[in-house]
Amino acid sequence: MTTLLEVQELSRDFGGVRAVNQVNFQVQEGEILALIGPNGAGKSTVLNMVSGVIPPSEGEIRFQGRPMARVPGYEYAGMGITRTFQNLQTFDDMTVLENVMVGMHTKTRASLFACGMSLGSAKREEKMMEQKAHAWLGLVGLASESRQLAGSLPYGKLRLMEIARAMVAEPKLLLLDEPAAGLNHTETAEMSRMFCDIRDSGTAILLVEHDMDMIMTIADRIVVLDQGTKIAEGTPREIQENPRVIAAYLGTEEE
Amino acid sequence: MKQLLEKWGKGIGIYLALMIVFPFVMPDEYYRSVGIIIGLHAIVTIGLCLLMGLAGQISLGQAAFWGLGAYTSAVLTTKYGLSPFVGLVASAIVPGLFAFLLGRAIAGLQGYYLAMATLAFGYIVQIGITEWEPVTGGASGMISIPQVPFFGDSELSMYYLIWAIVTCVLVFSLNLMHSRVGRAFRAIHKSEIAATSMGVDVRKFKLNAFVVSGMFAGISGGLYAHYMGILDPQPFGLHESIKFLTMVVIGGMTSIWGALIGTVLIGFISEGLILLSEVIPGLQGDVDTIVFGGILVLIVMFMPEGLVPRIRSAYEKAQAKKAKETAAKTQSGERVERKAAT
Repeated sequence: MTTLLEVQELSRDFGGVRAVNQVNFQVQEGEILALIGPNGAGKSTVLNMVSGVIPPSEGEIRFQGRPMARVPGYEYAGMGITRTFQNLQTFDDMTVLENVMVGMHTKTRASLFACGMSLGSAKREEKMMEQKAHAWLGLVGLASESRQLAGSLPYGKLRLMEIARAMVAEPKLLLLDEPAAGLNHTETAEMSRMFCDIRDSGTAILLVEHDMDMIMTIADRIVVLDQGTKIAEGTPREIQENPRVIAAYLGTEEE
Repeated sequence: MKQLLEKWGKGIGIYLALMIVFPFVMPDEYYRSVGIIIGLHAIVTIGLCLLMGLAGQISLGQAAFWGLGAYTSAVLTTKYGLSPFVGLVASAIVPGLFAFLLGRAIAGLQGYYLAMATLAFGYIVQIGITEWEPVTGGASGMISIPQVPFFGDSELSMYYLIWAIVTCVLVFSLNLMHSRVGRAFRAIHKSEIAATSMGVDVRKFKLNAFVVSGMFAGISGGLYAHYMGILDPQPFGLHESIKFLTMVVIGGMTSIWGALIGTVLIGFISEGLILLSEVIPGLQGDVDTIVFGGILVLIVMFMPEGLVPRIRSAYEKAQAKKAKETAAKTQSGERVERKAAT
């Protein structure tokens, strides 16, 4: 197994407050790594740094051995890192299909001129995008909603749409920020199955999530953060028995 | 042609019919000239719609690109004796270049700052044109700008030339809207973070939108110069920029058709006001500015999405209701049949 993502001594300050403090971890190819911790532990901040939304204050992120410090945010998708958002970032005035087609941006090349003139090359790409987007909408179970405006969809379906939008770019690493938030039990179980399928098809997943059922069933390994610092790393079983993790979640008696 | 009909339904058919028939319904030279001016404005507003409605970048300096196009072609043909066709090509390229430089400088700005920067650009261009007297003729302007050969002979042929170009610009923009580039524009409008994470180079696409809208405005400006035959810097200021903005907002910023319909509406309201001013003696001066300002305020208050999107959603709702009713009817019909069978 080779290392896909390597995070070394990663720190991030927000105006004097250290949100993430010297965190180390790696994501291997073909695994689901879960990042958990109590509220304010710095999970989303780590995810935002790994996806290039905010730069780290200190430390290094390497993707397939390449340092990412100087890579502009828009090149991440083309290199194989895509993501979903905790507070949904959907394009409400576009149809569900169009939303997913935006995800194919890096897979297409047509210039503004070619698109405006509707040249053959642009049309071929358009057809290809539509097919792939339809295929992914089918996989996440939104085939019948493809022509609706995204703004008219309920929360849970928008989460699925974001996953389709991230996956249609065929990433090597998928970053998920609380994908199960606001979903019911059945929906969470379906989503868990889907993540396993995604992993088995060769895309590694870095998952930030609060739903312990989901994490314990699908994660291959877990990294636990507390107040910006890594306090544990291991398999779900190891984590469940780790006294520091239990203390972080439940509080210790000294406090 | 068949493809066009399939893609945009009856809209393009109705548009073509109205556009072709108009000069014969109103077989008056005056109304043809009104049609020409509306067409010239429409080329600018469709470009502005791409920039503002799709990519979400406000411009309070669109009339400056219009002016740059007008003066580029006027100077090249009048002072250097080049063919108007060469002038018209240059009238797209030069404002495009200005838009590129402006866009590069201010692509990082958002909201109010972008509005201020484009406003300042508009002023600089207008002042520049006024002060560069040896070339532009200064405040007194230029005269005897040559007509476009062949098309310039009559109002009617000029009308068709201009509306042919409007049609090209319209089809280009509609194509663009439903393509990867148009979707990238719309994605930037909604969320720059999400667009970036999907691989959209936000700065590059904002710049693209600036350049296209600048070029459209420039082409229209060039045609305006050759149609009018005379030029002065007065129409290329903030007043005109705001008028373009009003046209786009009334029709519905997010719709290319909206920009076109908004332009036609404002054009006819302008004419209506002129007719009224002949009847009502007090109605003189800058009444149109007050009326357009009022319309803009009302639209922003009561219909912020604009005319076309509002009508479209009302139509869709009615369709959905109809579908529901027919479904209910067939159901109750089945029940009756079943009853009859038993």
